[in-house]
Amino acid sequence: MTSALFKLRLLPPFRPLLLPPAQQMSMYQPTYIDPIFKKEQQQVLTETGEASNLAHIPIKSARNNDTCSVFHDNTVSKFTNYIMRKGNKILARELLEKTFENVKRIQLERYNLAEGDEKNKIETNPKVILHRAIANSRPILQLTPIKRGGVKYQVPIPITENRSLFLAMNWLIQAAKEKERKVHFPEKLAWELLEAASGQGRVIKRKQDLHRQCEANKAYAHYRWS
Amino acid sequence: MITFIHSYLLLILFLWFQKVSTKIWAHILKFHNFVRSQIWCFGFKSYRKEPITMLVRCLRGVSRRACAQYSTVAEPIQKLDDFRTNEATVANHGLQHLGKYYRIEPEVKKQLFTYGGLPKSFEKQIKTFGETCLMVREPAVEVMHYIKSTDLSRPTVRYVLYGVDGAGKSLTMAHLLHFGLEQGFVLVHVPWVANWFKRPKETASSGSKEGFTDLPFDAASWLVHFKNQNASILPKLDLKVSKDYVWSIRETTPAGSTLLELIEHGIARVKFASDTVEALLHELKQHSTAGRCKTMVAIDGYNALFYPQTRILAENKVVVTPDKITLTKPFLDITKYDWTNGVCILSVDRIALNEERWESELPQYQLGKEGFEHVDPFVPIKVDNYNNKEFHSCINYYLNRRWIQNSAPGFDDELKYLSASNPFKLMNICAPL
Repeated sequence: MTSALFKLRLLPPFRPLLLPPAQQMSMYQPTYIDPIFKKEQQQVLTETGEASNLAHIPIKSARNNDTCSVFHDNTVSKFTNYIMRKGNKILARELLEKTFENVKRIQLERYNLAEGDEKNKIETNPKVILHRAIANSRPILQLTPIKRGGVKYQVPIPITENRSLFLAMNWLIQAAKEKERKVHFPEKLAWELLEAASGQGRVIKRKQDLHRQCEANKAYAHYRWS
Repeated sequence: MITFIHSYLLLILFLWFQKVSTKIWAHILKFHNFVRSQIWCFGFKSYRKEPITMLVRCLRGVSRRACAQYSTVAEPIQKLDDFRTNEATVANHGLQHLGKYYRIEPEVKKQLFTYGGLPKSFEKQIKTFGETCLMVREPAVEVMHYIKSTDLSRPTVRYVLYGVDGAGKSLTMAHLLHFGLEQGFVLVHVPWVANWFKRPKETASSGSKEGFTDLPFDAASWLVHFKNQNASILPKLDLKVSKDYVWSIRETTPAGSTLLELIEHGIARVKFASDTVEALLHELKQHSTAGRCKTMVAIDGYNALFYPQTRILAENKVVVTPDKITLTKPFLDITKYDWTNGVCILSVDRIALNEERWESELPQYQLGKEGFEHVDPFVPIKVDNYNNKEFHSCINYYLNRRWIQNSAPGFDDELKYLSASNPFKLMNICAPL
C-alpha cells in the first residue's frame, strides 16, 4: 500500500538516511529505475505485460553507450571502460576494436591453414574469445591484510562476482601494457586475450599464483571472523 | 504439421477437380516449390521424395522438364555460392555477373600486383581471407565493354575513373588491368602517382635536362614493375628500339636492341632510370601507332600530376612542382590522344592531393584547368558506393570468409546504415565484428 502511494507520488519520495555514497550523489531519486534499452528485453516486457507496469514509473535516461545496436555487448562495453584513461572513450573503443581485428586476423589465418576437423576447433569470433579469456582469468579468492596482535596477515577471503570480473579484466589490460615500446597495445592485448582464452599466458599464471598464495595462507583464514 | 500437409494435398486435389487453367497451375507450382523449400529448411526429411511434386506431375501430366522450369531449389551437383562466379575470363564478365566475386589466380596476382596496384588494406584482406577475390562491378564491366567495341586504329580514348573515397576506384582499375593482361595489352601502370611526389626515395638533379629533378630510385622501381607486369608479353612481341640512345660516353643503347634491354639498362644504371622511362614510353607509343602492339595505360591518382605542390625540395630549397620532375612528362605524353592502338584509364582521387583540394571528387575540380584541358575529351566513369545487390553480395562474402561473425537478426541493415554502403567503410566497420 505504502509503495503504491510513493509510486503515485502522493507522498514525497522516502530517502533512507544511509544510502551508499554513489546513490547519495545520484542526480536521480531512488524511485527511478534503470532504463531498458535492448530491443529484445523490451519485447519480452511488452509480451509479458510488464511494460504497462513500468509505464508510470520514472526511468533514468539511458547512458550514451547504452545502444540497441545488434552488436552491443555488456562485457565489451565494460572492458572498454576499463581500458579508458582520462575519459578518452573514443581512443579506448578504437583500441579494443583494433584488438578484435587483430584477434580475428590471427585466428582466421590459422583457420585457413587448418584442415578437416581442426578447422571447427578454431574459434574465430573475437567476442567469444574475450568472454573466454575473462572467464579463464577470474580468481575465486583474494588476499586481504588483517591486523592481529600487531602483525598483518594476508588472509584469503572469498570474492564477489563483480570484483573477480574487474580483476580479470584489469589483469588482462595490465599484461597488455607490459610491452616493448614499439609494440602497439592492440597487438599485445590480442595476444594476451588469445593466450588467456586457451588457458595459458601471464594472466592465467597470475591467477594461479594468487590461488597458490591463498592456499598457502589458509591457516589464517579464521582471522576473517575471529 | 501432418494436418497441414493433408490439407495441402486436399487443396491440390480440389484445384485439379476444378480444372483451373495452365497459367494458374504455374503459380500453384511456384507456391508449391516455395513451400517445399521451406519444409526442407526445417530439415523435414520425409519429404525428400517429394510426394506432392509427384502427385502434381501425375495429376496434370506435367513433364519433368516443365517442373524443373519452376523449380527454385538449386541443383545439388555443382554448388557454388551465389555471390561467386566461376567465370575466370575477365573479358566474359557481363551484366549477369554484376555483384559477384571472381577469383584472381595467385600467378596472375603475382605478375600484376607484386610491386603495387592493390591498396594496402586490400592486401591485408587477401592475406586474411586466403584468396584474392574481386567483385565484378558496373564501372569495370562498362569500360571493358567500351574497350571491346572500340576501333583501336582511332586516337586513344581516355577513361577517367572518379568517385568518393573508398568506393573502389583502385580495385576497378585492378580489374581492368587483369582484363588488359588477358587481352594482350602492354600494360603501362602507375600504382599511385602521389608516391613520387609525397615520399620519393631519393631526389637528384637531372643530368640530361637543365633545372629538372630526377627520382632515380622511383623510376627504377617503376621499370621493375613494368618489366614484371609485361614479363609474358614483351618477349613475344619482340619490340625493337628505333634509335640510338646515348646515356654517356661509354654507354649507349643502339637502335635495334629490344625494349627489354633498354629496361634492364635502366634498372641496372639507376642514374639514367628517369630518362629510360621517357625513352621507353616514347618507343611504346611509336610501336602502338605502327600497330605492332596495343597498350593499356592505367594511372592511379592521375590528378597528382597537375597539383602544384610536392614535398620535393630542389637544391636551392625551393619546392619543385610536378612539371619540373622528369617522370611527369612521359606520363603526360602517353595520355595524349596523338597515338593509336591504345587505351588510357586514369583515376582521379582526392587523397592524391592535399586537404585544400578535398572539396569535391569530380574530375573537373580534381584535375584543375590545366589537367582537364590535357585529358579533354575523356569518358568519365563514376565508381559509386555499393548498390543493394552488391551490398548483400559483399555481406554474404564476408560471412563466408568469417569477416563478419556476429549475424544477429537485422545486422545487415545496421551495417548498411553505418557504412552508407561505402565499400571501404563497410570493410572497416566489419573488422571488429
